[in-house]
Amino acid sequence: MNEQQLHQKLRATGLAGIGELDESACDPFVVVEGDSLVEVCTFLRDDSETRMEMCHNVTATEREGSIEVAYHLCSYEHHHSLTLKVLLPKPEGDLTDWHPSVPSIAGVYTSANWHEREQWDLLGVRFSDHPDHRRILLPEEWIGHPLRKDYVYPSSHGGIPLELDAVPLYERDETTEETPSEPRPAGTPLNQPPSEPSKRPHAGGKAPPAPEKKAPKAKKEGDA
Amino acid sequence: MGLLNNTLPDNKLVGAVDTAVGWGRKSSVWPMTFGIACCAIEMMAVFASTFDLDRFGAGIPRATPRQSDLIIVPGTVNAKMAVRVKRLYDQMAEPRYVIAMGACVCGGGPYVKWGYNTVKGVHKIIPVDIFVPGCPPRPEALIDGILKLREKIGREAVFARREKANAEMTARYQV
Repeated sequence: MNEQQLHQKLRATGLAGIGELDESACDPFVVVEGDSLVEVCTFLRDDSETRMEMCHNVTATEREGSIEVAYHLCSYEHHHSLTLKVLLPKPEGDLTDWHPSVPSIAGVYTSANWHEREQWDLLGVRFSDHPDHRRILLPEEWIGHPLRKDYVYPSSHGGIPLELDAVPLYERDETTEETPSEPRPAGTPLNQPPSEPSKRPHAGGKAPPAPEKKAPKAKKEGDA
Repeated sequence: MGLLNNTLPDNKLVGAVDTAVGWGRKSSVWPMTFGIACCAIEMMAVFASTFDLDRFGAGIPRATPRQSDLIIVPGTVNAKMAVRVKRLYDQMAEPRYVIAMGACVCGGGPYVKWGYNTVKGVHKIIPVDIFVPGCPPRPEALIDGILKLREKIGREAVFARREKANAEMTARYQV
């Protein structure tokens, strides 16, 4: 079944909150309301004609007006796949304490458990009824969600410095006072060309220099 | 070695002792099996038979820091991992040496600009003896680093004070 037929089948179930099929993306997706997400996923997993028993990706993207949570479902039996998207519109003002909520499908697909933890960790999307709702990649006591557009990079975390050295180690002179070195101006090449051509043979694609022809030595009598 | 620090005279006998002990120390540097990320693959290749590390005396990796002389830090050090690296380094017995292997631990590597979670160079948390750059460095490059470390160990005075740098770092970062 291709995506249009899957979409028709979804529409035929009569569940609320199923939007249009958007085919402009490389993976055609269906926009689904958050409230009916669990029912849609359960239907897609259990129905004998769709049988999408694998959710191989749950990801979230922050766009200009909303955070979109995308669910990539696929079927081993029927070799078809579908993408669902839940849009979470961004409110006005400061987004630091904004944690939008989506029902968790960890009960439907076990693989979504860690994927949803990752999206909570990096983008701050809450998944209601998630069995293990905590950070997965960053330390537990990390503050902030790094993949948000308004994230400010920390200079240290619990005493561990996370910044680059102002003066690299190899340029540091321990005896003199430290002043930050000038950054390399844009456009200067990283590798300087060699000042003289290489003496290795075949360097630069050129043929090796022809050996000078020496006069043949007179053979001595006792030479082997 | 606290009582004898910097108290010995600088004569030929002490120099001979330094050379002998230095030769003994550098010929059997036992590293710790500590692999963080991709550079660990190249480190495993160095331990294996093609680029054999045993011929330098460094081929008995210890799984525990208590018994190892050398910690090779291969792979990106995150904020989460930095606490553990510091703890493992603190558990090593002196004399202990550190090789920073790979671009990530030398100065941040590919994460130097946008890495919000990475420590840009493990020299910020533990004192490093040898930096081996590369992403990942070839096994020959790591062996070159270990050979340079052997030279460095051989030059050391036996009762020298090495741990001042580590004490300063611990006080500064509270890690």
